[in-house]
Amino acid sequence: MNNIKEKSRIEDIDRSIYDIKDEEHDAFRMEEGLTPEIVEKLSDEKNDPEWMRLFRQRSLRIYNEMRIPDWGPSIDGLDIDHIASYVRPNTKMQNDWKNVPQDIKDTFDRLGIPQAERKSLAGVGAQYDSELVYHNVKREVAAEGVVYTDMESALNSEYADMVRKHFMKLVTPNDHKFAALHGAVWSGGSFVYVPKGVHLSIPLQSYFRLNAKGAGQFEHTLIILDEDSSLHFIEGCSAPKYNVANLHAGCVELYVGKNAKLRYSTIENWSKNMYNLNTKRAVVEEGGTIEWISGSFGSHVGCLYPMSILKGNGSKMEFTGVTFAGNGQNLDTGAKVVHVGENTSSYMNTRSISKDGGISTFRSSVVVEKSAKGAKSSVSCQSLMLDSQSRSDTVPVMDIRTKDAAVGHEAKIGSISGDAIFYLMSRGMSEEDARALIVSGFADNVSKELPVEYAVEMNNLIRLEMKGSIG
Amino acid sequence: MSEMISINKLPTRTWNRLSVNDAKIAWDEENTALLADTDIQCAHGRSPSPVRLSLSDGGASFTRKRVRLSVPQNSSVKVFVDCRPENSFNTILDLTVGKNSDVKLALRAEPSHGGICVNKTTVRCDENAKVEMITLLVGDGDVYLDNLAELVGDNSLLKSDIAYIGCGGQAVDMNVVVNHFGKNTKSEINAAGALKDSAKKVFRGSIDFKKGSSGSVGAENETVLMLGDNVVNKTVPLILCAEENVDGSHGATIGELDRDTLFYFESRGIDKETAENIMARAAVERLAHLVNDEEFSDEILHAIDRKLGTEGENDNAV
Repeated sequence: MNNIKEKSRIEDIDRSIYDIKDEEHDAFRMEEGLTPEIVEKLSDEKNDPEWMRLFRQRSLRIYNEMRIPDWGPSIDGLDIDHIASYVRPNTKMQNDWKNVPQDIKDTFDRLGIPQAERKSLAGVGAQYDSELVYHNVKREVAAEGVVYTDMESALNSEYADMVRKHFMKLVTPNDHKFAALHGAVWSGGSFVYVPKGVHLSIPLQSYFRLNAKGAGQFEHTLIILDEDSSLHFIEGCSAPKYNVANLHAGCVELYVGKNAKLRYSTIENWSKNMYNLNTKRAVVEEGGTIEWISGSFGSHVGCLYPMSILKGNGSKMEFTGVTFAGNGQNLDTGAKVVHVGENTSSYMNTRSISKDGGISTFRSSVVVEKSAKGAKSSVSCQSLMLDSQSRSDTVPVMDIRTKDAAVGHEAKIGSISGDAIFYLMSRGMSEEDARALIVSGFADNVSKELPVEYAVEMNNLIRLEMKGSIG
Repeated sequence: MSEMISINKLPTRTWNRLSVNDAKIAWDEENTALLADTDIQCAHGRSPSPVRLSLSDGGASFTRKRVRLSVPQNSSVKVFVDCRPENSFNTILDLTVGKNSDVKLALRAEPSHGGICVNKTTVRCDENAKVEMITLLVGDGDVYLDNLAELVGDNSLLKSDIAYIGCGGQAVDMNVVVNHFGKNTKSEINAAGALKDSAKKVFRGSIDFKKGSSGSVGAENETVLMLGDNVVNKTVPLILCAEENVDGSHGATIGELDRDTLFYFESRGIDKETAENIMARAAVERLAHLVNDEEFSDEILHAIDRKLGTEGENDNAV
């Protein structure tokens, strides 16, 4: 019995798949820093329409005027003057993996993207550094009128007006400093449009790989679901580790139409030199549903709080998340919801795990506007501390402005129960396996919501994270 | 010249646009009248009679009063603090509780309409010390409550119960922080109240498990009854944790009177408004009885009835 009170030494994650660095064969690498000239040069490189050229410069001015937030994790180690905002790989976007340069293709092979595409996806976009190198959508999906393409193509297609109407209207450059930065230097990302009445039974996936040292990735994802349509979109990301800071300041804007349903799943596994300052937001019309599934495993510093605006009456939001903060990581994650329409509902269910000096913070806000009569909101967050070198905080806020609302909140912080470990060990399991099993079970709120391949990958990440010797 | 000052600060900041990181009030520091400090050294052992403090501003627009209360080892004392300002009144209460001692502290904040009560209470608990705080916010003016408890000694305990009723355009702003330093320390924070008309309330409750506080347990709970069409409720329950072997939890329930409860009352011939007043009164009444002092309880309940306009209706309950 005494043995179970001894500590497991928990090793760092085996990141061998993610950490393989390709030699950099960039076609173009922007000089480091952020000036009007650099942004202008980026507009030239991207062949921006005039409105986008002006938009980038206006965003840069806003960026320079805004202060770094005075809350959340420190980002002192991030020096924007040493970040290259644009790195173009040495290939154009392809729709056949055979035409993707071998080293890049090998990277995505290792990550399992082409295999997943063949097996279980309706379409795939693969971004390498600042540009998409592969984009394809199944013919039968395209035949239904579904548009899934890269943002640059969308900007210069028949959907140009639709893009312009929605681009950074939900997340404006005034939102915060890194939204402004995104507006100034964004590149890459995907555009999805699902027409009225179309329901995709299998998911689309975008994968973002940042290989270039000291670079930033600023992809923009814009998804528009028309009335009574549905989609599951999966986003994955990773990078090899360098000894200098990399930055990810992407932006995701989701427009969920009347009675439409969007599930947006993310498995984030950036390297531990990454500052992940991403912004995601959805607006949901009458009877619509947004579901967020979020697994945060990587990054040195992460600030990620997907926001849902429940604008239409009867609209719904669900957020299911797990965050695993290990050595050298400060992951500040959670969600935000604003209830505007009547009879709207939201549910957040999160798990945080901290180990080996990692810092995990659950941060949330639930705002119920005066107009949101009959709103219902429930938040449940649980945190697991695996040692006393780590830290786990919960920082939720509820702002309720109508009496006709029902809002509930519960949170719990604790450690792994010695009794539970003893129970599993008494049935022949090693302590290490018992702890891994308990942590996997603790995080099953997310894994059970993912397609099976991704759930397996997530559980593997947890198992690898928990591997260690008993000492 | 009044300036906006920042009080009731959260131990860790969050989104500024939510306006919960602190409270801002107008205060004229230069022209603040300083009342003489009061130092109370409680006698050793069980005090036969409680300490009673009645604090009021001296008529100045801005007044400050500090009270230091020290409870020696192996002692037991009850403390009643009445705070009824007519203007802007800042009371500072420093409570030090020695080893194996216990204190029951009942605070009544009842500012007049137009008055502001800014109360800061700091509690330090040594080994095995226990403090039970009962705070009743029953006035018509704005109330700002800032409580900090330092559970320094092993096995020390803090239980804080707060009840309030916010009416009119009243602001009720609370910040309760418990720092667990010692091993096997315990804290419990409960806040319950009702908001009517266009009252605004902020409740910040923070349980902070510091490194070394193994075996500690902290729980906080809040219940808010929303009774007005223009009320604003903000709830910020934090748990901060730097220790593995601890158990922290918080819960909050916010909403109007549920249908089942309303049906229960109506089936007994009690209309909605009366039912709401009964439920609003209940949170305060429960704590008033916990104080276990007839004089103190009577005054609280009369204050509530004056506020709700139910004087005479609840005489049997007092």
